[in-house]
Amino acid sequence: MGATPSGLIADLVDVVGAGACLHRAEELFVYECDGLTLHRARPSAVVLPRDTDQVARVVKACRRAGVPFVARGAGTGLSGGALALENGVVIECARMDRVLELDPLERLAVVQPGVINAHLSELAAPHGLFYAPDPSSQAACTIGGNVAENSGGPHTLKYGTTTNHVLALEMVLPDGEVVRMGSAVAWDSGYDLVGVVVGSEGTLGVVTEVTVRLVPRPDAVETLLAIFPDVVSACRAVGAVIKAGLLPAALEIVDRRTIEAVEASVYAAGLPRDAGAVLLAELDGPRAAVTREVERVRALCDESGAARVEVARDEAERQRFWGARKGAFGAMGRLAPDLYVHDAVVPRPKLPEVLEAVCAIGDRYGLKLSNVFHAGDGNLHPNISFDRRDPDELARVLAAGEEILRTCVEAGGVISGEHGIGTEKRDFMGLLFDEEDLEPMRRLRAAFDPDGVSNPGKIFPTTRFCVESNPKARGYDGVPL
Amino acid sequence: MNIDPEKLRRALGAEVVEAWPDAALDAALETGVDGVKPPLTLRPGDGAALVEALRVLRDEGAAALVCGGGTRLGVGNPPRRGDVLLRTDALAGIRELDGDEGVACVGAGTPLAELAAAAEDAGWELPLASPGAAATVGGCIASASVAPRVLCHGAPRDHVLGMRVAHPSGERSACGGRVVKNVTGYDLMKLHTGAFGTLGVVEEAWVRLRPRPEERAVLHAWLPDSAEGFARGMRAAALPSARAVALVDPALAARVAEEEPVGGRWLLVAELGAASTTLADDRARFAEGLDVRSGDDATLARLTALQDGPGSARGMRFRLAVRPTRLDAAAAPLVNAGAVVMAWPGTPFLYAGFPLFEGADELTVDDAFRAARVGARAGGGSLVLEAAPVWAKRGRDVFGEPPSAFSVMRAVKERFDPHGVLNPGRFVGGI
Repeated sequence: MGATPSGLIADLVDVVGAGACLHRAEELFVYECDGLTLHRARPSAVVLPRDTDQVARVVKACRRAGVPFVARGAGTGLSGGALALENGVVIECARMDRVLELDPLERLAVVQPGVINAHLSELAAPHGLFYAPDPSSQAACTIGGNVAENSGGPHTLKYGTTTNHVLALEMVLPDGEVVRMGSAVAWDSGYDLVGVVVGSEGTLGVVTEVTVRLVPRPDAVETLLAIFPDVVSACRAVGAVIKAGLLPAALEIVDRRTIEAVEASVYAAGLPRDAGAVLLAELDGPRAAVTREVERVRALCDESGAARVEVARDEAERQRFWGARKGAFGAMGRLAPDLYVHDAVVPRPKLPEVLEAVCAIGDRYGLKLSNVFHAGDGNLHPNISFDRRDPDELARVLAAGEEILRTCVEAGGVISGEHGIGTEKRDFMGLLFDEEDLEPMRRLRAAFDPDGVSNPGKIFPTTRFCVESNPKARGYDGVPL
Repeated sequence: MNIDPEKLRRALGAEVVEAWPDAALDAALETGVDGVKPPLTLRPGDGAALVEALRVLRDEGAAALVCGGGTRLGVGNPPRRGDVLLRTDALAGIRELDGDEGVACVGAGTPLAELAAAAEDAGWELPLASPGAAATVGGCIASASVAPRVLCHGAPRDHVLGMRVAHPSGERSACGGRVVKNVTGYDLMKLHTGAFGTLGVVEEAWVRLRPRPEERAVLHAWLPDSAEGFARGMRAAALPSARAVALVDPALAARVAEEEPVGGRWLLVAELGAASTTLADDRARFAEGLDVRSGDDATLARLTALQDGPGSARGMRFRLAVRPTRLDAAAAPLVNAGAVVMAWPGTPFLYAGFPLFEGADELTVDDAFRAARVGARAGGGSLVLEAAPVWAKRGRDVFGEPPSAFSVMRAVKERFDPHGVLNPGRFVGGI
C-alpha cells in the first residue's frame, strides 16, 4: 500500500466530518474485500457521505490528490467490484439510506443508493407493491450496489433484472459534476445512459439517487417443489417449461450436495436427502391462470422424470421452501471455511449437458462442488467449498473455475449473469471478447471517465491477450494464505 | 462535398455502390432525407463490407445517412450533411432461431414481418414492432420504435440480448450474447438501441422472443367523449390479459373501425390475450356497460398504421412520452390547440397530429410546438416531432430540449464517431 497523499485526509474530513472518515489501519480491515474474499486490497481511506453534495466534494478532493475512488454499498458483491485498488478511497454509501419518495399511484420510488433492497419492498408492501429484483443478499445489499452490478435474483426470470426497473439516476461524474439521466417516464430522447450505467460496476461515476419502478403484487402465488433423481433431469424439466412458453416467476434448482448441507443446517426445510435435485418453481398472476399453469408445470416435471411434485399448502410452507433456497449459501459454511461462487449463464437447452460437465470438472479436480442456481435464466452458480489455507486445493479451485467458464462459453454462454466481472473475471473477458470488442467499451468508459479514476482495475483485462493461465496475471498473487 | 463514386467502387466493389435515388425508397424520399439528397447509395452485403464502407467514408471525410427499410427516416433533425445513403437492407437473414430457447439472431436488414412470421412458426412471438411494411429489425432497434403492443412487451431495449456493430473507426465489435441474462461487460446494446445509428451501425442482433398467448381477442367500442375514453382505457390497460389499448380521436376513428363515428365519439380499441378462462373474464370486464364489437388482426394493423397517420408530409406529428397516469392531462392542451390525437392508455404514449394548411407559416409551427410542450409538461414527460416538412424542422430540435446529461451524450458521440460520419446533426441537440 502506498502512502496517502498529504492533505487528502484533511480534505475528506473537511467534507464529511471526522466521524465519517476512516483512515486508521484497524478501521480499514473490513473494507479490504467484498463477498469474494479471495481478492483483497486495503483502501487509503473510507468516507461515509450523507448526500450528493458531499459525494461530489469527495470526488473533487480525490481528483485534486490524484487518488482513485470507488463507491461501495453493503459489500455483498461476489466479484471484487467494491475493492479500492491503487490505494484508492472508498465512498461508502451506508449513510445515504433515505427513501426520498414513494409514489404508489405512479408506482415508483426515489431512493438514495444506501437503501437496503428488502427495506424498499417492505415499505412498498402496504400499497400492494414490491421492488422486483431480489438477490439472495437482499436483506443486506443496497440499491446502489444493485445498480452497479445489475443485480438479479430468483424472480428475474419473469420480472427482469435491475436494469428493467431503474427509471432514472442522479450521478456524480468522475470530474465532480452532478448530472441526472432518465426520468420517471423512462422514454427520453437521447442516448440511454441509464441503460449503460446500470451494470457498469461503478466505473462511470458514483450514483447518488435512483428512481425505481415498483410492481403490483400478484393476485395469486403458488410454489411447487419437484423432487428429481438427478440434476440433469431437473434441468430437462426447466427446458420443457421454457419451450412450452410458460413464464414462471422463478425456476430454481438445488442439487444433492446442497440439499445435504441445507438439511444439516438451521435452514433445514425437510428436503429429501436422497433426492438428486429439487426444482423450485413459482407461478404468479391471476388466480385462474396460476391454477392452470401449476398443473402444466406439474405435468412437465412428471414427464421429465420427477419422483414427486409438492405444492406449498400455505404461506408458511412456501417460505420454508424458499428458506432452503435462499439459505443455501449460508449452509455451505458447514462444508468448508471458504466458498467460491461462479456465475456463468448458458442457453437453457444446454443446461443438462453443461451441468454434467461442470460436476465432472469438480470431481476431476477432487473438489466439493455443489449447484444451486437460477435454472430458468440458465444462470449457473457452481459453488466450490474449499480451504484457502491449503495452497494445493486453492490451485485446484482456480483451475477448475477457469475450466468451468470455458465450458460454459463453449456452450454459447457468458461468464457472468448477475455478479459482475470486477477483479474476479476481468482476465476471462477474452473468452468472449477480443480487442475489437473491448475497444467500444473503453470508449464508453473514456466518455465518462477519461482519466480512469472511478473504480479502476475492474471489468477490463489486465493483459492484452486477456486470458493468462498464471495466477499472477489474474490478480491472485495477493491471496493471503 | 461530393465523394468520387469510382473511388468508392474501387474500394468497396461495384455491387455495393449505386446511384441515388434508391428505387425502393424513391417515393418515400421525394425530397431526400429532410432535404438532403445523397448522390450515392451504398448497400453492403455483409458485415465486412459494411465496416469497410464506414472506414472508407471516414478516410474520405464523408458522411452517411443510415437507412434500414426507410420507414423511420422522417424522425430526426435535418442532417448537416449526407454524402451517401447507407442501406442495411442487404444485411438480411435469420441466422438462427432457437425454438427451444426463444431467441433469434438476425441480420439488421431483416424485415420485422419476416422475423415475426418465423417466430410464430416456432411457437413464439416477436416483441419488436414498428409501423410500415418495410420496417427492419435494425431500424426498429436503432430508432427504439414501438407499436401498440408496447403495453405488454415493453421497450425494444428489453429484448436485445446481443449485437454486432460496425464502427467508423473500422472495428466490428460484439457485445452481449445469446443468453437471456448477462452482465459480462458494458451493456452497449442499450447504448445503440434508440441511438438512431449515430454511434455505430448495427449489423446483426440477438433478440429475445416472448411466449404467445393461447387465445387473443380484438375488441372495440365507441365512447361519448375523451374523458370517459381515458378512464375506460386505463381500466382496460389494467386487465391482466391486456396486450394493446388505444384511444382514437373521432377524426381518425373511421380509419380503424371502418365506420363513421356518430356525434364526435371516441374509439377505444383493445387486444386481449391469455388462456381461455382469463380471456373470458377480461372480455366481460372490458364490455361492462359498452356496446362492444369484435375486430381482428386487420383492426390492429390499421391501428398501427395510424402511427404514421396523424401528421404527414403536409402536417406535423408529435409523439409525447408522459406519465401513464397523466395521459389525459397531456392530451387536453393538444386537443384544445386543434390536434387530432391517439393515446395508448397504460403506456406513456400519445400521438398528436397538426395539419399544415396552405399558408401555414413559422407561427403555425410555433403554436403547435407550444401546445406539444404544454402537453408534455402537463404529463411530466417529453416530446419528439416525428414527422414534419423540413421547413418546419429548421431552427428547432425535433427531440425537444436537450436532457440534463447532454454533455455526457456529446462526449459519447465524440468518442464513437469523432469524424461525424454517422447521421451528422440528426439526433438530440444536433449530435
